[in-house]
Amino acid sequence: MLYINNLTKVYRRGVRANDGISLAVADGELLGLLGHNGAGKTTLLNQVVGLARPTGGTITLLGRDPVAEPAWARSVCSFQPQAHAPLTGVTVRQAIESIGRIRGGHRRAVRRRTTELLAALDIEQWADQPGERLSGGVRRLTAFCMAVVEPGRLVMLDEPTNDVDPARRRLLWAQVRELAAAGHGVVLVTHNIAEAERVIDTVVILNHGRVTATGPPAALAPDRQLRLEMSGTDAPAVPAWALRTSRAGDRLTITLAAEHAQLAVAWAASITGRFSLNPVGLEEFYLTLTANPETNPDATLVS
Amino acid sequence: MRPWFRSYLLLLRWSAIRLRYLLSLVLVVQIFLSVGIVLGFAFLLPQIDSATARYLATGAPTLGLITIGMVMAPQLVATAKTEGTFTYNQTLPVPRTAVVLSEVTTWLVVGAPGLLLGLLVAVLRFDLTLGVSWLAVPAAVLVALAATTVGLAIAYAAAPPVTNMVTQLIVFIALMFSPINFPADRLPEWLQTVHQVLPFQHMAQVVRDSLTAGPEGVSAAPYAVLAAWCALGFAATLHIMTRRT
Repeated sequence: MLYINNLTKVYRRGVRANDGISLAVADGELLGLLGHNGAGKTTLLNQVVGLARPTGGTITLLGRDPVAEPAWARSVCSFQPQAHAPLTGVTVRQAIESIGRIRGGHRRAVRRRTTELLAALDIEQWADQPGERLSGGVRRLTAFCMAVVEPGRLVMLDEPTNDVDPARRRLLWAQVRELAAAGHGVVLVTHNIAEAERVIDTVVILNHGRVTATGPPAALAPDRQLRLEMSGTDAPAVPAWALRTSRAGDRLTITLAAEHAQLAVAWAASITGRFSLNPVGLEEFYLTLTANPETNPDATLVS
Repeated sequence: MRPWFRSYLLLLRWSAIRLRYLLSLVLVVQIFLSVGIVLGFAFLLPQIDSATARYLATGAPTLGLITIGMVMAPQLVATAKTEGTFTYNQTLPVPRTAVVLSEVTTWLVVGAPGLLLGLLVAVLRFDLTLGVSWLAVPAAVLVALAATTVGLAIAYAAAPPVTNMVTQLIVFIALMFSPINFPADRLPEWLQTVHQVLPFQHMAQVVRDSLTAGPEGVSAAPYAVLAAWCALGFAATLHIMTRRT
């Protein structure tokens, strides 16, 4: 439903925020957009919804051009901006219902959907509290509800889990997944890679305005590697099966191949009782990709 | 037209809910202001003849409308910009004209009670007999529209701190250096020329002429000038709202 081709955005100050980005989102697909601060994620969303005008490249949304028809784009695309939603003086329920109605929903349907969302995210106890008395997390969840109460064919969420507690983050991910299951295309910007990895279908990693990796999370995460973390140790001799070793204070981190798991556990247990062994996920891949200029020569070009 | 009107009504309701606490405060301040100008200026002048009374009684509601449209409205927009409401509204699937007009409507409604109360106090204080013409309502609406559209244009165009300073300057100029509460011929000639272009003098004149039929009758020129300011303010506001970075 959404095709972005070679999209480039250069701001007047000369900042190249998007540099030849191409990606596609299908109906019912959940695309996760990852990248460091200033990588161009928000700029990308702003161009789709008509808040910013591309310098080059094309965007096709449901077969039409949102750059030429920004008003139409806003009607088929619901957007949760990164900035806090305007909630001063309105209760959570009023805000969600008002936006649902403004988005074109019918009164009763909006009311029902609002009640469902409040329950699904477990924020009913704040439903009738005005926005200025809410914590950051509840405000963020309210903003999420405002975006999805009457969702467009495309739903774009810019960091929806910021400030949200772990239990409600899970509830939120479930709602995001349900949107995709109902056939909406979803574009999700997040820094919460470890959690997003479990819900997104496709990941696009941006680095200084360019796509540096794209694909399903499982395909991107390094194959069958484990991470051993130990704390409270001196500097033991690094065993032969260690692929990578790093030390931060008294904490030692070793990356190893999965087949050496038993060796690693025995070795770690002989040194300290405080260790953990976990599979290496998308986050590690992301970090190597965006931090190491050798893996990604583009990073040095732009900054 | 129907989807436009639906958006307009829903936006009106949305801003009414959001601003209801603040608006009641603004309402009170505005009533104090209109009444205060009538009573306060009377202290300043030892003797008040009927001509002066006519200026004060009609100048007070005019200043009230200017304060609402060119000070309070832009300051609230500045706050909304700081809080992110402005950008948020830009992402909603509603016509931008509906957003602007719903804001303008809110301020027109807020301005009305102060205007009426100020007039009432003036009539009682100065034993004034008003000759209200059919133009009174259109004139007040035009003044409020001109003030609000220009005020919103300033707030949309400028950064919030700049808006706050500019609005202070506007109220200062309107109160002290504009022929609203006194005749224009008391000003130096160059300032009279400036006020031919600025909206303040014309605002005062249409309100005065429509409430107290003056000896010179009603002239069309100030209506034209105010309509031009309205158009300018509305066009600038819309341009800034639809502008893409």
